[in-house]
Amino acid sequence: MNKTLFKSNIKSNWGVFAFIVGMLMIYVSTSISMFDPESADAMDAMFAMLPEGMIKAFGFISLGTDLTTYLAGYLYGFILIVFPIIYTIIVANNLVARHVDRGSMAYLLATPNTRVRVGTTQAVYLVGSIAALMIIVTSALVGMSEAMFAGHLEIGKFLVLNLVTLLVLITVAGISFLASCIFSDAKLSLAFGAGIPIAFVMFKMVADLSEKVEFFKYFSLYTLLDTDKILNDSSYVLTISLILVVASVVLYSLGVSIFNKKSLAI
Amino acid sequence: MIKVENLTQVYKSGKGIFDVSFNVNEGEVFGYLGPNGAGKTTTIRNLMGFTNASKGNAFIDSKECRQNSANLQNVIGYLPGEMNMLDYMTGMEFLKFMGDMRNLKDTTRRDKLIKRFDLDASGKIKKMSKGMKQKIGIIVAFMHDPKVYILDEPTSGLDPLMQNVFMDIIKEEKQRGKTILMSSHIFEEVQKVCDRVGIIKDGRIVTVQDIAELNSVNTKTFVITLGKAKDVKTIVDSDFDTQNIDDYTVKISASYPFNHFYSMLSKCDVKSLDVENVTLENMFMKYYESEES
Repeated sequence: MNKTLFKSNIKSNWGVFAFIVGMLMIYVSTSISMFDPESADAMDAMFAMLPEGMIKAFGFISLGTDLTTYLAGYLYGFILIVFPIIYTIIVANNLVARHVDRGSMAYLLATPNTRVRVGTTQAVYLVGSIAALMIIVTSALVGMSEAMFAGHLEIGKFLVLNLVTLLVLITVAGISFLASCIFSDAKLSLAFGAGIPIAFVMFKMVADLSEKVEFFKYFSLYTLLDTDKILNDSSYVLTISLILVVASVVLYSLGVSIFNKKSLAI
Repeated sequence: MIKVENLTQVYKSGKGIFDVSFNVNEGEVFGYLGPNGAGKTTTIRNLMGFTNASKGNAFIDSKECRQNSANLQNVIGYLPGEMNMLDYMTGMEFLKFMGDMRNLKDTTRRDKLIKRFDLDASGKIKKMSKGMKQKIGIIVAFMHDPKVYILDEPTSGLDPLMQNVFMDIIKEEKQRGKTILMSSHIFEEVQKVCDRVGIIKDGRIVTVQDIAELNSVNTKTFVITLGKAKDVKTIVDSDFDTQNIDDYTVKISASYPFNHFYSMLSKCDVKSLDVENVTLENMFMKYYESEES
């Protein structure tokens, strides 16, 4: 870890961070304000009238009658996947591939810092900033829920849901980071680093559409983010958390190791 | 201090460097001369430990460059050929950033250099001219008082005044016993400050020459413009090695003692006389042209 480089990452990426947090805040606040414990049943009835496939494709799987399942269904199927991923796609590409492509990596490596140290700093920044993003969003959700509907949110379960979501996001960002380390051309890095996470979203949407194409779910990491199971099945939470942590460690360390070994034309 | 042994790096295009070998002794200024695309930067990338050579080795301070790159940066001052900095920063922020990356506490040398180069570092790098960026790059390379300098085309983008400031600094560093490798395609600056020069062409070192020897070569070439056609004939018919440039201009090579040369000229109507003091350029051109034919 190098503090100086870490700080410069904050400086160069805070704009994207603030934009994504801002967007999420709009969704977070509207979703909570739309919740009405009395008419949650009415909402369900309304959704019942829409074609099931369409509702599922956008991740509004089961809008429960309590605030916890309502938020889980409303936010964690689509919005809290897509917006943070936009952030990680851009930032992962900026952290390594862009420096190599533009040549500014030459300055970073002309200092007594090993490539492993530079790479690790960039990985820690990426993971840390995703965590910061999720902490801000989760705090806002819990805070607003308590302010508007005190006692309605099952905070313990809700925090578990957010933790698992964070792990999924970190893992998917690990793919973008790996691409950023492999490719010296920022365009290629972006093609893979954005292409794979976006494909995951697409596959999940397609899989939710109809049972005939349900097999698509096996091609998406987001399938692991099964809100029903996460809220109710603690052994499921434990298993996928373990898988996600191991996958992340592999992806990030592989990225740093490739960056350390490769030949840089800078 | 710097040792390159059979260094070979072939790119996919088939270009690259092939069996490049040379040494730079401690306290020596070594000029690395060649046209664009000859392999100067590729050699330097290997010295910096950025690239994986296909064959051969590079050493600085007896340490292999690729394996010890981070460690070696403590003794190296590097100026890249391309000024691609973190351009969202201001010049001063970038200088501070690079200092912090090196854990450099003492900024007096940095601030002296800023003054010497008359640099206003307060603006965003993105908005700076090439010359200003070049100054910042030079300050980054020099501010930690390294033992070894690796400079890729250091004067490019600098105005003549700043080129002189830079040359003065190089001379001072040489006096202080620093080892300097600088690539260039400008003969004059290399001839002025370097002890030895290596010429690279199409990825291969064609010659390594001692500048002092080169300067002591006592054959000089003069370009003479004459007033009368008769005088042109006198000169061309003389024993000297001559070459007609146009009707009234002749190129003539003479060597010490010059008495005979002057006595011949005293009989002619000489309109102008220039000494071609470009032995390095001549040599350079010789190596380059020979391959083209």
